[in-house]
Formats: sequence, structure tokens, C-alpha cells
Amino acid sequence: MNEKKNPLFHIVKRKSMPLSKQMMVRLIAVAVAIAVCAIVTVITTGMNPLSVFAATFRGAFGSGRKIWITLQDTAILLLIALALTPAFKMKFWNIGGEGQVLMGGLASAACMIVLGDKIPDPVLNLLMIVSSVFLGALWGAIPALFKAKWKTNETLSTLMMNYIAIQIVAFFTIYWEVPKGSGKIGIINQSTNAGWLMQIGNKYLLPILISVIVTVGIYVYMKYTKHGYEIAVVGESERTARYAGIRPGKVIIRTMLLSGGLCGFVGMLLVGGIHHTITTTITGGQGFTAVMVSWLAQFNPFTMMGVSLLIIFLSHGASEISTSCGLNQSFGEIITGIILFFIIGCEFFIQYKVIFRKKETENTKEGPAGQKEETGQDSAEKPENEAGNAKEDSEEKPENETTQVDEEVKS
Amino acid sequence: MKKFLSVLLVCTMVLGLCACTGSGTKTNNASGIKAGFIFLHDENSTYDLNFINAAKEACDKLGIEYVLKTNIPEGQECYDAACELADSGCNFVFADSFGHEDYMIEAAKEYPDVQFCHATGTKAHTELLPNFHNAFASIYEGRYLAGVAAGMKLNEMIDNGEITPDQAKIGYIGAYTYAEVISGYTSFFLGARSECPSATMDVTFTGSWYDETAEKEAATKLIGSGCVLISQHADSMGAPTACENAGVPDVSYNGSTESACPNTYIVSSRINWAPYFELCLSNLAGIPTDYVGTISTGSVELTSFGSVAPAVGTAERVEEVKAELQAGTRHVFDIETFTVDGKKVESYMADVDTDAAYEGDHEVIKDGYFNESGDGLRSAPYFDLRIDGITLLDEQY
Amino acid sequence: MCCRLFERRMLREGEAPQKGTFWGPGRKRKKLRRESRDQEMSETAIEFKNISKQFGNVYANKNISLKLYKGEILALLGENGSGKTTLMNMLAGIYYPDEGSIAVDGKEVSIRSPKDALSLGIGMVHQHFKLVDVLTATENVILGLPGKLNIKEAETKIREICDRYGFVVDPNKKIYDMTVSEKQTVEIVKVLYRGVNILILDEPTAVLTPQEAERLFRVIWRMRNDGKAIIIITHKMHEVKEISDRVAILRKGEYIGEMATEDADIQELTNMMVGRAVSLNIERKTPVNPKPKIEVEHLTILDEEGVAKISDVSFTANSGEILGIAGISGCGQKELLECISGLVKPLNGHVYYVEEDESRTDLVNLNPLQIQQKGIALSFVPEDRLGMGLVGSMDIADNMMLRSFRYGATQQDIDRVNKSRFLENLKQKMQPFTDRKTPRNLAQTVVEDLNVVTPSINTPVSNLSGGNVQKVLVGREIASHPKVLMTAYAVRGLDINSSYQIYDLINKQKESGTAVIYVGEDLDVLLELSDRILVLCGGRVSGIIDGRGANKEEVGLMMTSMGGEQGK
Repeated sequence: MNEKKNPLFHIVKRKSMPLSKQMMVRLIAVAVAIAVCAIVTVITTGMNPLSVFAATFRGAFGSGRKIWITLQDTAILLLIALALTPAFKMKFWNIGGEGQVLMGGLASAACMIVLGDKIPDPVLNLLMIVSSVFLGALWGAIPALFKAKWKTNETLSTLMMNYIAIQIVAFFTIYWEVPKGSGKIGIINQSTNAGWLMQIGNKYLLPILISVIVTVGIYVYMKYTKHGYEIAVVGESERTARYAGIRPGKVIIRTMLLSGGLCGFVGMLLVGGIHHTITTTITGGQGFTAVMVSWLAQFNPFTMMGVSLLIIFLSHGASEISTSCGLNQSFGEIITGIILFFIIGCEFFIQYKVIFRKKETENTKEGPAGQKEETGQDSAEKPENEAGNAKEDSEEKPENETTQVDEEVKS
Repeated sequence: MKKFLSVLLVCTMVLGLCACTGSGTKTNNASGIKAGFIFLHDENSTYDLNFINAAKEACDKLGIEYVLKTNIPEGQECYDAACELADSGCNFVFADSFGHEDYMIEAAKEYPDVQFCHATGTKAHTELLPNFHNAFASIYEGRYLAGVAAGMKLNEMIDNGEITPDQAKIGYIGAYTYAEVISGYTSFFLGARSECPSATMDVTFTGSWYDETAEKEAATKLIGSGCVLISQHADSMGAPTACENAGVPDVSYNGSTESACPNTYIVSSRINWAPYFELCLSNLAGIPTDYVGTISTGSVELTSFGSVAPAVGTAERVEEVKAELQAGTRHVFDIETFTVDGKKVESYMADVDTDAAYEGDHEVIKDGYFNESGDGLRSAPYFDLRIDGITLLDEQY
Repeated sequence: MCCRLFERRMLREGEAPQKGTFWGPGRKRKKLRRESRDQEMSETAIEFKNISKQFGNVYANKNISLKLYKGEILALLGENGSGKTTLMNMLAGIYYPDEGSIAVDGKEVSIRSPKDALSLGIGMVHQHFKLVDVLTATENVILGLPGKLNIKEAETKIREICDRYGFVVDPNKKIYDMTVSEKQTVEIVKVLYRGVNILILDEPTAVLTPQEAERLFRVIWRMRNDGKAIIIITHKMHEVKEISDRVAILRKGEYIGEMATEDADIQELTNMMVGRAVSLNIERKTPVNPKPKIEVEHLTILDEEGVAKISDVSFTANSGEILGIAGISGCGQKELLECISGLVKPLNGHVYYVEEDESRTDLVNLNPLQIQQKGIALSFVPEDRLGMGLVGSMDIADNMMLRSFRYGATQQDIDRVNKSRFLENLKQKMQPFTDRKTPRNLAQTVVEDLNVVTPSINTPVSNLSGGNVQKVLVGREIASHPKVLMTAYAVRGLDINSSYQIYDLINKQKESGTAVIYVGEDLDVLLELSDRILVLCGGRVSGIIDGRGANKEEVGLMMTSMGGEQGK
């Protein structure tokens, strides 16, 4: 019936790949992405792709101010990603960063509007920080509590909390609107600057410094503290956690307090340090972008720095394309999409390799001699395997990696 | 293959860098003026498209170099964009959305040599920055004229026996209960009632300047509650589409919707910003703090009338009224034509200098009419009276 | 498994074959076997040609060529991880070979899915059954078959198959009401129903009692005599000897050789399988000064659905003694151990820990952390190694501190806790950072002492093989110098050498005075190792017997004697 019809190719998981090789694959991916972008540019717009690429660079790094803005935006995105990371590490899918940031921002805005000029600025700032962190943490802890107590699905609950946050902010936007009926708050305390966060150096530096500190902080927290260890264990398996004397519910709630609190803090930075207003769109969807950042970086805080920069670079590049090349913003987004597709897609080739069908049908009979050549080529692609001897026992593991569910240990 | 790719990569990188250094040094034109424009959305929004077209038209006409920045949110991004434009040598920066104003003021403080202009804003006359300006147009006149066309349509429907005079109810979809919107629907209503005295109007608000779904739903609801003619102060195609589907005549805003709604489109009023841009760019030093474009300056326009829906003789009648308005023999907010709570309004203190309590600060009734966007006051509308004959269905926004 | 054991068995078989012991009906059958094989020897059912399969960089199968003839039982012998299952999975369409080809009835074929395999008449019964619990036997059998649904007809056909081969199964019984053995029968019927001629059984006796295994063997012979070709994957020597006509041996993914079973010799097979001569010996020393350490009284444990998994169980575990727990898989062993270690709260009953001074602490209302904080050194090697005992994605060093990360990782710390418990507990709470150095040193020690094969202590444990994973787990649990050591299926999936290493470690613990509770599935080993054996049946104690002098049939019967009310 299906004799001699081998599948065209099949996919095999790689063991590991040395870092240099991984970087090579990624570099190739970027090169291919740029090539594809160039082709798309020429075909769809007839413009010189180099001028489009140049615009991308100009958009992010074209002037001193642009560099500062790029870094500031990177810092904010990075901070949100960092905030989400402990939760992700715990396999708690917190996609409620958006709402947690918004609630933090709302708390800050409330302090600034209600208490601006009534109390000294340092006290007001302190109050903003405390209330933002508190509200953000609350927003994170509610789904965590539900998860810990009743095992509700946190993906849904954190997502839904976003919409509640947006509606609450929308309500207060109307409540505090200036002027009446305009549906916007505008810059809060524009004349007195009450509650505005102090500037260090220039108006862009503060979030950048904070993001560096938090990056190191989260790295240390995840890697060297007992809390971080508990998070990793809970993330792996709640049964293991209980076995180790860890109470998963407690860790979930504590971690979400941290995650939400940090998001709230970012909200405070956005409102008190950057925008000085609150709108429902102040986060600009970064609560969701940050999810991607965290994952792309495989939860490594330092890698997140790079990934955030890349994302912000691309988005600023995209808007510059629309400005200076006279193209619609959508074109810039297409370019961004292509580049991200290749960068994310290349991870597949780092994890797996594709083995193509060998020559043609009769060759199924051909001995291993002819085929070895092929595998020889393959092995040039794949690393010398130091870890290989760790796995003299090859029967148990592969099942994890392919279709069959390995219940070996359960029975 | 791999080698080829790395070579390709290196090439693109190098070329990219060359391109980087090579571009961006276009020679300035003789006048030394460079204009930067900031838009909330891009050309897919009719509101922004209106500005974009005017900006291009004016700059091309004057031969001025210009930069368009689209999709700039109403936040710090606006400040950043304005500063970037100033950094890049623009000496005229314009922003089109109401929420941009505060950020433009921030930028204006930082760049005293650059002229910052903002449409629909309210703060220039109180901030008193020499390089920050507001601009608007007497669009209430345009809406009044559109209202005249609507009133004639109502009359035609009454004459044809389609409705009784009592049923001449107009539906209106606003964004917020903001003065600009109130001024807009009131002038439209007064225009309609000047032709059809029995007209009444229901107004509903969507809480957004652009929300196609909400606007469509609002229009459908109004039609369902007995409105026989619809108009709107919101930017999407939601309401016109709903009207076309229901076969209800529609007066739209910001541009003709005839192509999408051939059977129900009557007319549309819009602001033409090109005269303002030309004025500013031809004399940067002389930009007024508050500029109000009028029918006479060419800033307020009616688009061409629909070929099916308008009543017979509409165009002629509108021309007559327009002449009266220009001549000053007719005023849109003539206090003889409307009452509030059954009383004539003899005196009104409007909240022109926006403050936290929204207290009235200027007497705006003069010479028997409400002095909307008056000289020495501000360009943005401040008419916020709730006149008799108009029912607000909801006020939460 | 164990040579000495086996010799004893051979003796037994020789002595009393007519009794129909565990070793089967004996000579008569052997004769039958030979005859039938001679008849059909020449016809090839399956031929593997130069099959290779790689996972990552590891060859699971390397250049294997193998034939299977019609009407024979081939035992595929090899240790865990030698590639037996992988090879068979390729025949069953679950994997696709990287290289080489498979011929069925002399024709080269490409088997890309289990469906392909079935249409070629190849069926596989996996170690882990793939049945739908809420359906009946019949429904499971016809599940996924094309055509009209006709339960009646299917039932008749199933009964036919059963009669023909001697299966005992009620077609209308729901799977969740079935014993493991019955489920296995359904699995076999399922593939026979689809008309297979080549049947693969993956470790079929692993979950069966001796009596059930015997019954299974009998139906397998009938199928063989019916002309079907059967492959049995196993790593148990006595099974090979007992049931197969021919045996093929794999080692580390490579084909080592094959021989007719009647010519095979146990030691030779073992050596071929392991790759070198092994000495198979478990030493059992007499317990020194045993004193009660754990006293379990009238323990009843419910599972999440409220079904009693342990009913009124009482026993004592003494220091310096190994208490073996025997029982069919899943009849309460897991719950019992988890309850003692504080992971599961019982419905009622007590678990007392007896201190040196004979004071007793009830552990029932304490969680693992509280037990630890009371200074009770209780170690637990759970059945689910990577799902409970270890964190797969963490490296060996990090796993070392799983149970002690609050303190550092050494016994000294835990001892110190004993001295001024309150202050120490407070102090460790105030210290936010984990101690990284002690676990690293411990990891190094464990790796060296237990010969864990790993590139480094920074390798995630999920990358290690089953045996090495278990060594890491046992190593950690022993490193805390436990007073009580509980192990569940400590050698499951381990090769012979690793298994014996684990037995040694357990014995050493016993000698150092630890109370060891050993839950095992291999009765031979259990009988060799334990000082006393507690037999569980359906969550109840069906007897506690002395390990010396106990015999396998007796234990086997005790495992099932109370069956029926709690078969699962």
C-alpha cells in the first residue's frame, strides 16, 4: 500500500548546540530576514531597500534624543518583562502585565491629582510608589489566590483582569477629565510638576538606571535566593514542591505579589516619570509584548535586555520608515514581522534538525555506507556531543521528545 | 550556502551603514522653513487624512520641506516627536489631536525658537507662550449650513407625507459631552430648525472619537427609536453605513461619504486646514495665538451635495444662508432662535479659561447672539448650553 | 535477574514440574514448542535491515538486522535503554527509522503510523495501556475501527477470540473495574481483533503477579501455535528461558547476537546483555539490635475521589532492618509512603516516629517541612523520580538542596537545628540566599561515590539516564543520614549494575541502623533483600512474613488473595 514512500523529511530533536554555533544560526537568520525584507521592499514599494534599512537605524539611533528615547522605551519594556519573569518561571502564565501596570499607573495618577501640592513632593513620591506597588500587587495576587485556592486557570483570569483594569482607568479618566467632556486628563500638575519624579541627568535616564538595577536584582533573586529556588521547584512540579516541604500556594501568591508589584511600579514610572498622565492606552500593549520578550530570552534577565532593545529598535524603526520613506506604518510593521519571524523561527533549527529523505526510492536498499555520508554532513551541523555519554540510556528519554507520552515513572 | 549568506550579511550591513551616513541631508529650500506635523493616526482615519491632505497641499504650494509623523499617541510620545522634529531643524511643528496639547506646550517651553501650533486646543490664550498657538475654525457655521440642508430634507419628507411634522426627529451621534461637540450638534440643530420649525433632536455619545462599532450601533438605535435623519460628530464610517443600510438620510462630517452611501448621503461639512497652514508658513513670526478659520477664509467648507438624497433646491437655499452668515445678517447662535429651560438666554458666562471647577469667566452673549470662538477669547468652541428641543439620551461621557 | 535465584528455580522446576509452579507446565510444553517451530521455521515474517535510529546524538538503534519467523516466539532481551522498545516502536509505526528498512513477508514496507502497522498485521501491546477507562472492553476493542458500530457482533467476535486462545475477559466490563491483568488482556484482544499476525508485547509481565504471568504465557503459546509470530520485549532472564523459542540480544542500541533458547545459558545471556561478566549477589546480614522506629497504627487513607487506598494498616518498621512491601502495583504502596513522609493526610490512624529515648511523635498532622524542622531525619525516594523526587530541569547540584535548601545541605546543619531548633529555624528564615557551595560539594561526592555518569554536576538531571537519575536521588536522600529511609520502586528501569549498586546502598543504610522501608515490584529481589515482608493487597495488609524462608508463590498468592474488592 505505502511501500517505498518514505516521508520527505522528518524532524529530530538536537541534544545541544554550542553557543558559537547558536549565534551563527541566529546571525544567518538575521541575514536571511534582511534579504527577505529587501525583496519585499523592492517588490511592494519599488524603493531602494537600503534607504528603508537606513531609516530603521535612524529611527532608533538617528540622534542623541532618539537614542535616549530608545533606551528609555527599552527600559520600560524590559522592566515589565522582568516583572513577569518570576511568574513565568513558576509556570504561572501571567498575561495580566498590562492590567497590573495600568493599575499601578492609576494609583500614581490618583496620588498626583488628589494630593498634588497638598503634601511635600518627596512624601508624595513615596506615597505614589507605595500605592502603585500595592495596587499592582493586588491585581496580580487576585488571580494567584484563585489559582492557589481553587486551581482556576490563571491565563484566563489574568487576561480578564486586564479588561477590568482598563475599564477602571477609563472610568477615572472621565472622572478626572480636563476640560469637562474632553475624555482626557492631560498632563497632571503641568504648572507645578507636583509628584513628578525627579530627573537624574536628563528626563530619560531614571527608568534606564532602574531597569539595570532591577535586571541584576531579578537575576540574583531567581538564581541565588531561596525564593528563587522555590519558584523554580514549584514551576517544575507542585508535587516535587510539596515533597521538598514547599507550600505551592504560598509561593504562587508571594511570587504574584512580586510580579504584580513590580508591574505596578512600572506603572508609577510611566505616570510619574514619563507621561505625567493616565490613559487606557498608556501601556501601549507592552504588557503583552513583554510576555514575548521574557519567553524569547528564555527567562534570562540579561538576554531580555537585548531582546527588549531589539523589539524597541524595530518598532521605532518601523515608525521612522513611515515618516521618512512616506510609507504607511503598516509597512514598517511588515518588516518588523518578517525580522521577528526569522529570529524566532531560527530557534527551531537550534532545537531541532531536519533530516531529508535520502535520494530516491531504490536507495532504501542501499546500505549504511551511502547514508553515512549524509549523516556525516549532518554532524558537521551539530555539535560534538560531550553530553552524549550521559545518555547511555537512550530508550527512556526520547519518548519525552516525540509523540509518545512517557509515563515510565508514573505507572 | 553559509558562506554566501555571511557575505550577504556583511554586504547589507556595510551598505546599510553607508546609507545611514548618506541620507538625511536634503538641502533646505530658500525660505529656510521646515515644517513638522504630528498626527494621532495615519491616513486611514478621516480626521487625520483631512489634516494630512491640507499639510501636503499648503507645503507643496509654498515649496516648503515637511515631515509627517503619523500614529503619535496622546502621551509623552507627542512631546518626544515634537522635540525630535525641532531637533531635526523644523521651525514649525503642528499637532492635530486634542490630547497632544499638553505635550506640545512642554515642547514649546523647551524650544522657544520653534513655533508650535495645535488644532482644537484651549490653552494658548492662558499659557501665554509666544511660540504656542491654537487654531480652530468656525465649523459651527458649516454645521449650521449642513443643518439647513437637513431641515429641507425633513420638510420634503413632511410634504411627501412620509412623516408628520411631529415626527421630524433628528438623531445625532457625538463622542463626548465636550463643548466642541455640543457646539456642533446645537448649530446643526439650529440650522435644521431654521428650515423645519417642528424638528427635534436626540443625541447620544459613544465615549470615543473613533469607534466604528459603537457609532454604528448608536445610529441603529437612534433609527430604531424613530429618528428620521442622522448626523454625527465622530470620525468613522459607522453611522453613515448604518444609515445606508436602513435607508435613512445622513449628514456626515469631515468629507463626502457618497461613494459608500449613495442613496442616503446629503452633505458633509469639514474644516479645510490648508488656509491656516499657508498663513502660518508664509509668516512664522505672525501666527496668531488663537486662529479661527471661517467660511470667508476658506477654512469651513461644505462638500458637494449627494445626488439622490438632498431635497430639491437645497444647494440654492444653502448658498442664500451662507451669504447671510458671511454678511453678518444671520448668526448661528442668535438668542432669538433658542431657549434654555424655556427662557431666552440674555447673558452667559462661558468657561473659556479652563479651570478645575469649570466656572464661567467670560461674558459671551453680545449683540444678541452667542459669540462662539470670538475674537480675544479662544478658538476652540465653548458653547455648552443645553438648549430646548434637544434631548441628551445619555451623558456618561 | 539473579543468578543464584535462578539456579534455585531450575532446581525447583526439575524437582516438581508436575505441580505447575510458577515456572509453568513444564516439559510437555517444551516439547510442543520445539515441534511447532520446526514446521514453520523457514517462513520469515519480519525482517529488519540495517535499522538505525538516533535521538539527539545518541543512537537508540544502530545498524540492527534481525529476522522474525512465523509461528515463533522471539524474546528481545536487553537492559533498560538498550533500544528494544525503540526498535519495536519502529515496527509499530510510532517512530520512523533514520536508516535501514523493514520488510514484512519479504516485501519492503514503510510504516509511518500505527495504522500502517495494523494494516500490515502488526500489533503492539505497550507497557502502558492505552485504554479508555470509562468504556467497556468491547467498546475499547472496536474504538477507532471504520464501519458500522455493531456492539453485538463485536462481542461475539471477541468471545471467539477469547475461546480460541483461552483469554478470560468479560466484554461488558468497564476498564476502570479491571485488574491490570484484565486490562492487558483487553489490549491483546484489541490487536487480535484487528487481525494481526505479528504481535509485540512490551514487558508484559512487569505488572503481573506470578500467577497472572503464567496465565499470560499460556495464551501466548496458543497464539504461537496458531501461526502467529510474537515478539516479547523483556529484560528478565527467566522469562526468556520460559517462554521463547529464540532470543535476540540488544545492548546499548546494538545488536549483539541471537540463539535458540534451548541452547542458551543464563550466565551467558546475562553476560551478553550486560557486556561483561557480572556477579549477581545480594547480601543479607542479620539485623543488629532492631528497635521500632516507625509505628503505623490503623492507618486509612483516601484518594482524591474518596476511595480508600489504604485501609486499617498497622505495622512497625525497625531500625537496622529492611521492611519490604510487596503488592500489585497501585494497591496503596505510594499512598502509604507519602503518608508517612507527611505528603498525604490520612483519614484516620497514626504514624509514630520513635526517638532513641522511645518517646513517640505522631507525624500524621505534620507536613514534610515540619517533620524536618522537628529534626526527624526521614528520607524518601519516591516512585516518581523526575515528577517528585527531583527537578528535571535543574542540575545535579541544585537538586542536592531540594530538601535542605533552607539550611544549606549538610547533616551538620540539620543536627544543629536539633540543638536549638527555634533559633535555627528563625535564623534560616532570615537568610534570603541559598547556600551554593555545600550542595555542589555534595553533588560532587554523590557523582564520584555512586559512579553517576554525567558530563558534569551542572547537567540538568533530566538529561541523565534513568539509572543515573536514580543514583542522584538515592544519593541525596542517603546523604542526609536518615533514621528512616523509604524507597519506592528504587530500581525500576535500572540496568543490572545500577540495580545492584542501589541494593548495596540500601544494605549499607540498614547496617548503619536506619529503618528501611523498601517497596519493590520484583519479588525475587524483594525476597532476597528484605528482613521482613509486608504484603499489601487492595490497600490492606494480607500478611507480614519473614523474608528468610518466604517463597514466591506464597507471596504471590497473598498479593491477590484479598483481590476483587480493590483490583485497581
